[in-house]
Amino acid sequence: MGELLNVENINVYYGAIHAIKGVSFTVNEGEVVTLIGANGAGKSTTLQTVSGLLRSRTGSITFNGENISHIPTHKLVNKGLAQVPEGRRIFLQMTVRENLDMGAFTQKSGIDESLERVYEQFPRLKEREKQIAGTLSGGEQQMLAMGRALMSHPKLLMMDEPSMGLAPILVDQIFEIIQSLHKAGTTILLVEQNAQKALRVADRAYVLETGRIVMSGTGKELSASPEVQKAYLGG
Amino acid sequence: MEFLSYLISGISLGSVYAIIALGYTMVYGIAKMLNFAHGDVIMVGGYISLIAMMNAGLSPWVAILLAMVVCTLLGVLIEGLAYRPLRAAPSLAVLITAIGVSYLLQNSALLIFGANPKSYTPIITGTVHLFDGQLSISYVSLLTVAACIVIMVALTLFTSKSKMGKAMRAVSEDKAAAQLMGINVNSTISLTFAIGSALAAIAGVLLCSSYSTLMPTTGSMPGIKAFTAAVFGGIGSIPGAFLGGLILGIVESLSKAYISSQLANSIVFAALIVVLLVKPTGLLGKYIPEKV
Repeated sequence: MGELLNVENINVYYGAIHAIKGVSFTVNEGEVVTLIGANGAGKSTTLQTVSGLLRSRTGSITFNGENISHIPTHKLVNKGLAQVPEGRRIFLQMTVRENLDMGAFTQKSGIDESLERVYEQFPRLKEREKQIAGTLSGGEQQMLAMGRALMSHPKLLMMDEPSMGLAPILVDQIFEIIQSLHKAGTTILLVEQNAQKALRVADRAYVLETGRIVMSGTGKELSASPEVQKAYLGG
Repeated sequence: MEFLSYLISGISLGSVYAIIALGYTMVYGIAKMLNFAHGDVIMVGGYISLIAMMNAGLSPWVAILLAMVVCTLLGVLIEGLAYRPLRAAPSLAVLITAIGVSYLLQNSALLIFGANPKSYTPIITGTVHLFDGQLSISYVSLLTVAACIVIMVALTLFTSKSKMGKAMRAVSEDKAAAQLMGINVNSTISLTFAIGSALAAIAGVLLCSSYSTLMPTTGSMPGIKAFTAAVFGGIGSIPGAFLGGLILGIVESLSKAYISSQLANSIVFAALIVVLLVKPTGLLGKYIPEKV
């Protein structure tokens, strides 16, 4: 299992606010790695820095052996990095199919095959192919956001709070999908507030607290840790 | 018959507004900015085509093509130099910059071409006479209406079917998400300015052809009216710009004919206020709430 993503000592600021303070972590090929932490801990900021929407003042981000710290966001998809952004951010006024097409924007070939695979994974999307995305339910929108990201055959799929705002039954469904993607060999970096569920599907996990990584270990280890239980698992 | 003739001249005027409004609305839809220099690009298109025809003796069609090329380059240049550095700036700063660019273009034209109106030979001359000569329609009017319809259909197909057109819509909805899809936002915005400016050139030629005169402020008023048309129809919406332009042109023409030519502009702008009071998003403007 080679190292796919290596984030080394990043520091991110929003103006004068020091949001990420020297964060380092790695994701190996085939792993599901999760970053958990409370609201405002810096989870989404970390993800957005990896995808280049935000920039770190220090350190480096290496993806698949290449330093991507200064590569513009729109060039990262072709390198195999896809993100399911927080709040889904699907294109609400476009159809389901058009959203998926946008996911394959940089793909030169194999779009039909990708589409077939995504429809197999999310049959609901096929049923609603021609529907305007804004009319989908919250759960369907999340599936569309995931399907859209998968259209580019990513080497690493980054998901930002995929369970946010969904009913419990849909949350379970989303985590089942994450597990099945994992089984199919997709490498996943998952950011979640739902620590319990995230730790259950994760091979390894990092705990973020006010911009710092305060703990790391396997999903099992962290689930069993008294500190994590007290702070994030409600007991 | 008189009414019909006013109506037709209104449709023709409205078609020019619609072509200009399409440029406004596309740029607004994608860059979320009001490009107040858009009207002045029309004027530049007018001068380029005039020089091409009068001084260089080129055929009108080559002149239009030349005007389109120059205006496209100008639009991309304006976007790159004046607006791109302000991408993260407050929208008021961008608005003031756009007004500044507008004055820059007008005054540059004043320096180069002088303040005197130049007479503009229409690109096509002649009229069709219908109903035993009771109704006459100029070829320029017909050409204007036809051009407007072709442009509107082409743009609709472009944004709904082509890959770049879809990318434009994606950028217009959510720039960050579009970047995550691998869409280069800056080049998409440049492309939008290029298309809008090429349309402005066509509008310039048609406008000058129907009024037969041209001066540095020629683009200013039609620019503002077209902006009104875009807001009227629902800014950001392509069919809205088309509909808004047509209605505005017809309202203006009929007001001039039956109410007062001095009050025509006031009536046009009053119509805008009424529409915005009743439907703040404009006639075809959409408001899609986000599901959480």
